[in-house]
Amino acid sequence: MRKYVVIYRSVLIENLQYAGNVAMGFISYFIIIFIFIHLWDYMYASPDSLIAGYTKEQMIWYVMITEMIWFGTRSNTITRQVSADIRGGNIAYLMNKPYHYTLYILARYTGEWSIRLPMYAALSTLIGLTMVGGLASFRLVTFLAALPCLLLGVTIHALFKLCISLLSFWVEDANPFQWLYDKMILVIGTIFPIEIFPDALQPLFKLTPIYTVCYGPAKLLIDFSMDKYLEVLSAQIIYLAAGCGMMFFIYGKGAKKLYVNGG
Amino acid sequence: MSMVVKNELRVCLLSVKYNIMREMLNKVTFLTNILFMALNNATFIVQWVILFSLREDIGGYAIQDVMLLWGLAASAFGLSHILFARVFSLPELIINGKLDAYLVLPKNVLLSVLTSATSTSAIGDFLYGLIILCVFSFSIGKFFLFLLFSITGAVIYTAFALLMGSLSFWFVRSELFGSHMVSSMISFGTYPDGIFKGMVKFLLYLVIPIGMAIYQPVHIMISFDAGKLLVVLGYTFLLSAAAVFVFYRGLRRYSSSSLMGAKV
Repeated sequence: MRKYVVIYRSVLIENLQYAGNVAMGFISYFIIIFIFIHLWDYMYASPDSLIAGYTKEQMIWYVMITEMIWFGTRSNTITRQVSADIRGGNIAYLMNKPYHYTLYILARYTGEWSIRLPMYAALSTLIGLTMVGGLASFRLVTFLAALPCLLLGVTIHALFKLCISLLSFWVEDANPFQWLYDKMILVIGTIFPIEIFPDALQPLFKLTPIYTVCYGPAKLLIDFSMDKYLEVLSAQIIYLAAGCGMMFFIYGKGAKKLYVNGG
Repeated sequence: MSMVVKNELRVCLLSVKYNIMREMLNKVTFLTNILFMALNNATFIVQWVILFSLREDIGGYAIQDVMLLWGLAASAFGLSHILFARVFSLPELIINGKLDAYLVLPKNVLLSVLTSATSTSAIGDFLYGLIILCVFSFSIGKFFLFLLFSITGAVIYTAFALLMGSLSFWFVRSELFGSHMVSSMISFGTYPDGIFKGMVKFLLYLVIPIGMAIYQPVHIMISFDAGKLLVVLGYTFLLSAAAVFVFYRGLRRYSSSSLMGAKV
């Protein structure tokens, strides 16, 4: 475990040097949030009305939190780098190192978002408080309780993205699969809370990663309840175990298929 | 003069053709990229179906108008990335001194740079736009207007990316700012302009040129207006001229990094 902590720490320090570049990404985040503030302003006929049980402020904060997770955890390390390592043969060099390749990638990835996510969280808070207003239901205690769910959600997201990247052992370009997974998360879980969808679809969505990656953590942050907390946390633990199992399985199968041409 | 233009265009088309042929070397990956990009765009139909279930019109748009907006945005973006994909990595060429390989070519420098790469998935974007048009609001007139506005939209998109990319001739760290500004065109271009008010609308027509690339063309397709059409064509010409001017002004400041490279 210590070696992964060392990897994490070194990436963390490396990324601190590029905090300025991360801040440039705020432009895109701000534009997206700006659009959604205008969209929901238009959609809510009166400021007091409810859509799917959400007030206008709750709806905008929901989008801000899910987009914060989206922007704050975006990285090429678990997508393009893994695909490039496999396709380019660099993996033959990395798999002989005294660490497990997938855990090495996860440690690197965690080092990256440990800088980005708090920066985006600070920006979200600033935009939210100045352009939307505070949340009446927000409490510091519930925020601290929901924090582990947020971190688990990010890790589960990474596991699934990594599993898709590992498909590069079989297909030349795994990117198209990443697009579809991303869009599923973005359209169903990021832009809207699950309650906005027809009743018949909601139980189905609760079985997908959407529930554990973005809906669960965001819902807890804007409208905490102990029942929901336990439900999300249990689902996340199951997803984490399943995601890890799938990752080791795909990597093991892929590594057996690997052949090296030399050079 | 016309011979020179003809030759330049022939070289550009050949360049794009060979780029696509190179991408087609692996046919499965080529087709997967196109198909999945179209599917990727199609997922957003869910978003609009949900939003229109909450209100009958959004920003003065009905669902077929929003689909037209989405289709045009996808096609213009796609065409720009099929023909001129390299413009989106122009800052990298400038900063790393990789323009040298284009400067020694016996053809127009800017056109050689712009047409030196193609994005396969952009073909999926372009086709998606056409499919959306055919499914949601097809008519012969709209089809030809859609093709025309896909071209003007692609030119505006490319010209704006060229302007932003050319900033790297003067400011070394401007590439991130430029790329975010360019991507903001897509973010704004896929939402109806009716939801924005006042100053924001002004910005969308003058600072980020999405108003002339997507919004006005959609208005013209919904309700034809020859005057507005001429404004869009004129704007496209002026923005392109400004982008070309800025690129060549910037090129005077370009200095090689002594990087060895060749453009075959």
